[in-house]
Amino acid sequence: MTRLRAEGLTLGYDDKNIVSNLDVTVLDGKVTAIVGANACGKSTLLRGLARLLAPRGGAVYLDGKSLTDLSTLDVAKVLGLLPQTPIAPDGITVADLVARGRYPHQGWFRRWTERDHTAVASALEATGTADLVDRPIRELSGGQRQRVWVAMALAQDTDLLLLDEPTTYLDINHQVELLRLLRKLNTEAGKTIVIVMHDLNLACRFCDHVIAMCDGSIVAEGAPTEVVTAELVEKVFGLACMVVPDPVAGTPMIVPA
Amino acid sequence: MTVLAQPAARTLTITRRRRSVRAAVVTAALAVAVAALFVVTMMVGSFRLSAWEVIASVLHLEDNPSVDFVVRGLRLPTAASGLTVGLALGASGTIFQQLLRNPLASPDFVGISSGAGLAAVGGIVLLNLGGLAISGLALGGAVLAATLMYVLAWRDGVSGYRFILIGIGVAVFFDGLIGYVITRAQLSQARQAMHWLTGSVGQASDTELKALTAALIVLLPVAVLLQRPLRALELGDDTARALGIRTELSRAGLLATGVVLVALAVSVAGPIVFVALIAGPIANRLLGPATGGIIPPAPAGAVLLLPAALAAVHLMPTPLPTGVVTGAVGAPYLLWLLATTNRQGAGG
Repeated sequence: MTRLRAEGLTLGYDDKNIVSNLDVTVLDGKVTAIVGANACGKSTLLRGLARLLAPRGGAVYLDGKSLTDLSTLDVAKVLGLLPQTPIAPDGITVADLVARGRYPHQGWFRRWTERDHTAVASALEATGTADLVDRPIRELSGGQRQRVWVAMALAQDTDLLLLDEPTTYLDINHQVELLRLLRKLNTEAGKTIVIVMHDLNLACRFCDHVIAMCDGSIVAEGAPTEVVTAELVEKVFGLACMVVPDPVAGTPMIVPA
Repeated sequence: MTVLAQPAARTLTITRRRRSVRAAVVTAALAVAVAALFVVTMMVGSFRLSAWEVIASVLHLEDNPSVDFVVRGLRLPTAASGLTVGLALGASGTIFQQLLRNPLASPDFVGISSGAGLAAVGGIVLLNLGGLAISGLALGGAVLAATLMYVLAWRDGVSGYRFILIGIGVAVFFDGLIGYVITRAQLSQARQAMHWLTGSVGQASDTELKALTAALIVLLPVAVLLQRPLRALELGDDTARALGIRTELSRAGLLATGVVLVALAVSVAGPIVFVALIAGPIANRLLGPATGGIIPPAPAGAVLLLPAALAAVHLMPTPLPTGVVTGAVGAPYLLWLLATTNRQGAGG
């Protein structure tokens, strides 16, 4: 049983198809990384899975129902997304931003409840941002800011969480910190997580499942130890390299040749 | 979800309480200021009245024919026009600014007032109309200009940046046409057209005022409901959709509300500049940043417009149009805004 999957999915912008006829299954309760070179269609695929982009062919199914048949609000209760470059209104504070993640659980008239409060407090606690509640977002460091955005997505309290390049603008320390946080949310709260990311070594280290894309199609898929090989990296990124076991975790590690 | 830790919950409670108290205090203070200015507007003039005389006359508490004539007959329409136009401009301006994520995106600049102006000046000069017909034309012009911009800006949805640029283009185009139409006018028509274009709360007729009041009674509650999707839309379309917003529908609803409010305000008083631009930022400064409301900027608009209208009438030996005063106050603010937003790199 898998909650989120795509069948024959074709997505594109204007008159150009970016990905064509893809079959994707997101494994429940796992952390999946979508990797690939720039412009290979990985962010487009994520946007399609998150209902931000309507399919031109095929369909995305959430709990057996096509996403296009579900209301935006119903999807938002189950499926969260952190976009690549989210926008923070000028001067907004951490508490205010994270609270906005509760939107899909609030009606037109039913406003702030105890459940909203608990969800926001837990999200702040889980992401280690509780002591920042009064601070404006723009005063935070990049790593703190990214954790606050994750907190907002957590406050939404969805079983599935999709993240579009959450580590791209972070230094190595903050990248690892964020991935550890996501890993923890997966093991402790059982969330299904899909991350679009660039760093193959970190993807191998922190994810259960890797989907490698090249020119809009999936070229390999599976556990990092099984699929990440020198041939694959050569094929996907055009980089000649050696793949050796990570000295700490034993997961594949790419060393440019 | 992890087990709830107490400190986070407590700080959150304190933060949220402090914010809601501040919001309540600011909104109440603005409302009191509006009420006070509304009364003061009717006290001042060649025939001075006390606050009690004004209140008693407006609420029909006492019968005093000479006071009633001055208050209800002469001053109430102007004061009511200043009040309603201020509320409408304040609410409308902040809707545009928050929706398009740009402090410069006031309806003054994105072509809506210009559309109203072109229709009104065309009516005055080419069709020789006056009074209510001009207001009707202005209303139609504003709505048409807004629709035109929405259609031109549409490309798989409407993005803020494109809407602003197209709006500025449309504004320049309409302003050019206004200039041309005025060159074709007789002197007296040209004077009438220029007076209309400067904007004045004193030119409102009873029917126009009633239409604007009715619109406010309907649209301000609508605006309260639309604050929710607006807060999500502020985070960008992707985040908003991920939060379950129907982005295009919400945006269309918000724009329609903003357009109707500004169109009615312009049809009542002409394009009074800068009130819509400044009301939102002033309310935000008082409330704390990014509180994302539509309601507090509405009284802020009235707090700006009522004294401006009063000053326009009484400051000089001959009364000036209200737009002259708001322009004189607003222009330095605009320069400051342009200078500082560019420095912060937040100009859009």
